[in-house]
Amino acid sequence: MATEDARYRQSSQYRLWSFSPTQLDAKRETTNALARAMISERLLLSSSSSSSLPNSNNPSAATSNANTPDPDGGGPSLPEFLTPAEESLLLTFYTSELLRAGDHAEMSDEMKATAAALFRRFYITNSIMTYPPQEMSIVALFFGCKAEGAFPRITDFMEKFGRERPEEILAGEFLLCQGIRFAIDVKHPFRALRGAVMELRSFGDIDPSRIDNAEFHAREILRFSPLITDAYFHYTPSQIMMAALSLADRGLAERLIQSTFHYVAPPSSGGDTPMANNGDASKEDATKGSESSSTQAAIVGTYIRDKVLGAIEACRDMLSKELPERREHWTSKAVIKSQIQPIRKKLRKCCDPDRSNLVELQRRRREQALRKADSEDEDNPDGDRAEMDAAVFGGDLAQNNNTKRRKVVEDPFGGPL
Amino acid sequence: MAVSPLIAYPTDARVSSPLKQRQVSTVPSSSNGTPSLPLPLLLPGPGLGGRPMHQMVPQQSHTLDIVEQMNEEEKRKYVKGKKLGEGTYANVYLGHARNNPNEFVAIKKIKVQKEYKDGLAPDAVRELKHLQELHHPNIISLISVFSSKDQNLNLVLEYLPLGDLEMLIRDVDRVRYGAGDIKAWMGMLTRAVWFCHDNFVLHRDIKPNNLLIAANGEVKLADFGLARSFADPGRKMTANVITRWYRPPELLFGARHYSGAVDVWSVGLVFAELVMRAPFLPGNSEVEQIALICKLIGTPTEENWPGVTQLKEYTVPSDIVPVWPKEAYMGRFGAVGSEGVDLLIRTLVLDPKKRITAREMLEHKWWRTDPKPTRKEDLPRKSGGGSAEKAAADLKRRPGMLDGDENGNNRGTKVARKLDFGAAK
Repeated sequence: MATEDARYRQSSQYRLWSFSPTQLDAKRETTNALARAMISERLLLSSSSSSSLPNSNNPSAATSNANTPDPDGGGPSLPEFLTPAEESLLLTFYTSELLRAGDHAEMSDEMKATAAALFRRFYITNSIMTYPPQEMSIVALFFGCKAEGAFPRITDFMEKFGRERPEEILAGEFLLCQGIRFAIDVKHPFRALRGAVMELRSFGDIDPSRIDNAEFHAREILRFSPLITDAYFHYTPSQIMMAALSLADRGLAERLIQSTFHYVAPPSSGGDTPMANNGDASKEDATKGSESSSTQAAIVGTYIRDKVLGAIEACRDMLSKELPERREHWTSKAVIKSQIQPIRKKLRKCCDPDRSNLVELQRRRREQALRKADSEDEDNPDGDRAEMDAAVFGGDLAQNNNTKRRKVVEDPFGGPL
Repeated sequence: MAVSPLIAYPTDARVSSPLKQRQVSTVPSSSNGTPSLPLPLLLPGPGLGGRPMHQMVPQQSHTLDIVEQMNEEEKRKYVKGKKLGEGTYANVYLGHARNNPNEFVAIKKIKVQKEYKDGLAPDAVRELKHLQELHHPNIISLISVFSSKDQNLNLVLEYLPLGDLEMLIRDVDRVRYGAGDIKAWMGMLTRAVWFCHDNFVLHRDIKPNNLLIAANGEVKLADFGLARSFADPGRKMTANVITRWYRPPELLFGARHYSGAVDVWSVGLVFAELVMRAPFLPGNSEVEQIALICKLIGTPTEENWPGVTQLKEYTVPSDIVPVWPKEAYMGRFGAVGSEGVDLLIRTLVLDPKKRITAREMLEHKWWRTDPKPTRKEDLPRKSGGGSAEKAAADLKRRPGMLDGDENGNNRGTKVARKLDFGAAK
C-alpha cells in the first residue's frame, strides 16, 4: 500500500506547485522579464504608430528588450518596470490584503488559505504588471470558496467587496483557473495540527492547558505565516504544521519528533548497517512495524529524523519572518507610505495596457472568440465537420491546413451521428 | 488490495509523455512569418514544447503569456474528432493524440451554463478538483485540461469504449454473467470507492451508469461532478446528493453531516442490482424510497439506529418492519453465496455508524471464497455497437443534483429529484 508520502507526490500540489527556492526565483525572474518584454512591445506599439499593424514593425525593439532585462535605452516612452524584488514585495502586501478581506467576509480558514495559495500560484507565471493584483485577490477569494466546496452567489460577494457588477469579479475567474493550471485542490496543515494535538494528548503526561495553548498559537501562525510566505511551495503540509507547532512550543514539537523517529540502533549490530537512502519513509510505515532493523532504521531512525528536522527548521525560519504580529506591519500607514506606495505608483505607469482592465480584456476576448466561432462554425449543431477541429485546436493558418489534410486520411469513424 | 501509486497513469501529459512533447515542439510554426494578423492575442507562439521556462524568453512571440503558451501546447496534443453527444452540462467529443491516431481520448467540453450566473459551475469545479488528484486504475483518469476559444473548459479523459455496468445489467437477453463476474466488477468498484475515501473524497453519485468499462474490461468510477472532500466535524453538508435509488436513509432523513458510509450504501445497491438485474429499491419519490427501505431492509428505529429519530426529516411508515435477517436475503441473492450475502447486508446496515466501511469490505471473506473473480479480460461485454454514443451519454450527464451550495442555499428546490436523463437522448 501506498505510503502517505507516495500519495502526496501524486497530488497536484506536489506535481505542479512545489519548487525549490532556486527554481521559484528563476520562474519569477522569467515571468518578470517576459512581462517587461511584452508590455514594452505593447506600449511602443500604441504610442509609436498611428496606422500600426501589430507584430511586424518592431521586432528589434521587442527582442532587445527581452534580451536585456533592464531596458534603460529602450526608447523614450518606456516606463521603469518593477523588479522581481518589487513584485515580490507587492505580492506579499496583497496577500496580506487578501487575508484581511477574507476575514472581513467571514470566510473559513481553509477558504482564505486556499485563496491565498491560489493567488500566489497565479503570480508565479503571471506578473503583477500584467494582471492587477487587487482585482485578482478578490477573484481568488471568490474561487477559494468554490475550491473548498462552497458556492457563494456572486451578488453576495459583490456586495461584500463593494463591487458594482458581477463581471468585475467573474471576468478574472477563468483567467485564474488557467493560471493555476486547473489544479484546484490545495492541501493545508490545519488538519495535521488537529492530529498532532490528539497525539500529544494521548501521551497522557503533558499538561492539557499547555497543549491547548500551543494549538491556539500554532493555529494563529498557520492562518498567516505560511500563507504570506513561500512556505506552501517548498514544504509539505505536515512540515509546515510541525514548524508552526515548534514556533508555538518547541518542546512539544520535539516530543512528537522523538516519539515518531524512536528507532535507536541496537548497540551490538555494529556501525556498518547501511542506511537506505530513500525519502519514502513515513509515520505510517513506522506504525506498521518493519521486520529488519535496517528497514526500521531507514524509516524511523536517526538519518530520516535529521532530514525531517532539517526541513522543519528551514520552514520554521521562513515562518518566523512573518509571524502573526506582522499583520499590523502590512497595514501600518508608515509602511504603506514608505514601501508600498512608491511601487504602486511605479506599477501604474508600467502595467500592461492590454490586460490591466479585466472586464475590458474579457469583453475583447469574448468578441474575438465569437468572431472566430462565426467563421469556423464551432458551436453549430452539425459542427462535427472536420473544419471545426482546426478551429478548436489551433488557430493559425499553417496548422489549419495540416489538420484538414490529416483529418481526411484519419477519420475512420464515418460521418456525423 | 489496490497498490495505487504504482500505476503510472498519465495525469499530467506534460510530465508523462516527453515523446509527445518533443513532437509538438518540432512542428514548425509559421506565426512569426505570417503577415500581420488582426488578432495578435490569439496567435499561438512558436513551438515551445519541452524547453524549460527560463529558456523561453528570447523565443517569445510576445503575444502569449507563459500560461497561455502552456495551454496552447496542451491543446495541440489532441485532435478533437466527432461530437459524440450533447448534454446540458457538457458536450463530449471523441479525440485522439495528435501524434498517435490510435490513442483515443474523450474530450469533455464543459458548457457555460446559462442558468448558473456565478461563474464556473459547481459540477465542473468539483470534477476538476477531484480528478486532478485521484489516480487509480479503477477511477477514470484525467489526462489533460485545456481551454479552447476563450473560456471553454475541456477535460481530456481516458476513452472508455465498452459502455457501463447499467448496460450489462439491463441487457438480460444478450448478456449473461455469473457470480465470478459480479465478484470481479464489485472488486473493482470497491477498490475505487476505498481509494476515494482513503483520499478523503466522497463520490456521492455511485450508480451503475457511472461505472464505465474500459477496453480491457476494467471498471472505472466516473462522474465526480457531485464529489466533495470530507468535511471537518460540525461543518454542514447538503443532504441532496446521490441519485434517489442509491441514496442511503441518513440522507433521506436530511442528515447534514455524513461520511463515506453514504457511498457504501450505494455500492451495496449496485451489488444487489448486479444480482437481481433490476434496481433493488426503485422508489418514485423520496417518501416511496423510504417506504421501500423500511419494507425490504427494515424500519430505522432508535433500537437499531440510536439517534435516528432526531434527524430533521425522519418519518417512517407506521407499521414497523423488523430488520430482515440474512436468511431473508438468501432466496433473492443466494447466487453470490452465503459470504456474498453477508457482505451485501453489511453494506445495507441502516445505521451509518455500523455500516461496513470500504476498507472493511476489501477485507471481507467473500473475495477469497469460490468462485474466484473473473479475470477482467474474460468478463462479459456488452453486445452490439453504439459504444461511442453511450460513452458520451455517460460522460456528459448532469450529476444527480442541481446547483445549490453546501450551506443549504437553494436547497430542497429541485435537487436530486430532477435528473436530466432527457438530455442524453
